Amino acid sequence: MSLAHESIASLRRRLAAKEIRCRDIVQDLLQQIDAREKTIHAYTHVDREAALAAAEKADPTLPLGGIPIAIKDNLNVLGDPCTCASKILDGYKAPYDATAIARLRQAGAIFLGRTNMDEFAMGSSTENSALGITRNPWDSSRIPGGSSGGSAAAVGGRIALAALGSDTGGSIRQPAALCGCVGLKPTYGRISRYGLVAFASSLDQIGPLTRTVEDSAILLSALAGHDPHDNTTDLRKPESFLTKPDASVKGLRVGIPKEYFIPGMDAETEAAVRQSAEWFKKNGATLVDISLPHTPSAIAVYYILATAEASANLARFDGVRYGRRAADPRDVLDLYHRTRSEGFGPEVKRRIILGTFVLSAGYTDAYYRKAQKVRGLIRQDFGKAFASCDLLLTPTSPEPAFKLGERTQDPLKMYLADVFTISVNLAGNPAISLPCGFTKSNLPIGLQLIGPRFGEEKILQAGHSYEQAHDWHKRLPPT
Amino acid sequence: MSAPQINISDVASLARLTLTREETEKFSSQLGQILSHMDSLKQIEMGDVPEVTPPAQPNLRKDVPVPSLTLQAALSNAPAQANDLILVPKIVE
Repeated sequence: MSLAHESIASLRRRLAAKEIRCRDIVQDLLQQIDAREKTIHAYTHVDREAALAAAEKADPTLPLGGIPIAIKDNLNVLGDPCTCASKILDGYKAPYDATAIARLRQAGAIFLGRTNMDEFAMGSSTENSALGITRNPWDSSRIPGGSSGGSAAAVGGRIALAALGSDTGGSIRQPAALCGCVGLKPTYGRISRYGLVAFASSLDQIGPLTRTVEDSAILLSALAGHDPHDNTTDLRKPESFLTKPDASVKGLRVGIPKEYFIPGMDAETEAAVRQSAEWFKKNGATLVDISLPHTPSAIAVYYILATAEASANLARFDGVRYGRRAADPRDVLDLYHRTRSEGFGPEVKRRIILGTFVLSAGYTDAYYRKAQKVRGLIRQDFGKAFASCDLLLTPTSPEPAFKLGERTQDPLKMYLADVFTISVNLAGNPAISLPCGFTKSNLPIGLQLIGPRFGEEKILQAGHSYEQAHDWHKRLPPT
Repeated sequence: MSAPQINISDVASLARLTLTREETEKFSSQLGQILSHMDSLKQIEMGDVPEVTPPAQPNLRKDVPVPSLTLQAALSNAPAQANDLILVPKIVE
């Protein structure tokens, strides 16, 4: 079996036993990339020579020593391009490492390449990339999800062991669910965003996409902790999240929110998720019927707040300090207008306009302030739920991967793909998506476990127990 | 109340974007639909809900100087520069 099919945990054991060398792992991955990347297009750039050179110098005694990791193309890696899948960052090279990157470097990881995404992380299908679409490794006529679609397709397609993504409204969990891998959005404040190109700063989180829950815990342990460069990061000492092999779900109170099982959702998805809930019950957990009553408002709240924040964050792309600049500007206004109009794609423009509108004179109270208040109610819903539950169990996405091109003309329908992931960002809680079945047509289905704030350990342990008893994560996509 | 008519060109101009005629037409109808969906928030009874608090309390570092990007690194991506300064079109007449 190719080393590219193994988990990080297993490769670390084999490296420690000197059965394999770091170089072997990189070479096997590059071989898989050569075979599959043409179809999937998960990467915007593969760093072949640098990865092989780093493998020669890797120290396998470090926590991630010699382990290659793919990086979403919105994180700054010193000296590398960071395109955000946008024309506006043409020619940009990162002058520093993001904190998440510096921490992986310190843990000994090797950077394998950069993964495709929706432009500036705005989208749910990776079709909004200026660098071409990414295809789902399980069915190349379908989308991989988004916005971290390249990261999910690389891990699900076995052409990366693990990848970093970012999650503002579901951008790690939804593509992980659709590509058959594990995606973790940590608690807001758990991982520093310094060096992540900002989209909506009150929602953005960085997190890992991996083959297994155990690997997710390994990466989170390397990434978590306070950073003076991101003052939202929590001050508590970074803990180890490593999963215990004998973790049990006995005695866990698992909340099942009724708003996450809605008319019109895919029947096979609902059946797989309900069956997973039954597994928890059979193994000693108690299922608790709960309600998160403000869930139906989450999409509206999110697309007001996220676009408002994006309109401010993306104001920095003006052709002055970095990236693309329009040729021969007449004056400074012409420079701004032409640089931005030529550089941004349609979805980014649509969201900047929406965000500018909800913040404009006369509309702020009706939209932005109202949405902020409803966000408070959504957060209260979660607070109440966790008074009677240890974790919540829901589908990650209401349906499996849809066809390429099916929703590009209908942005509202595209936005509804995030209906089960968005509330978690608005509340700031951690959540993980892991494989819990396949449809009859062999498309992966994702199960979402939501934890209380800073309760990553709970969802990782519970997810690990579930994973140990199933083999969904071992199934390979067609070649 | 139905969603307000959004004057796309005005809003685009605030955001320093110039749209083509096709973009203006397309965005007008799409944003109209999206705003109608957002209007569902108006039905939510708020009572005495306070302004929302930030998602995390800021943990500010001590106000002491620490090393930062070098001048060379900070200028390394500037599209046009001279004498350690970024060049832009003239803004003062």
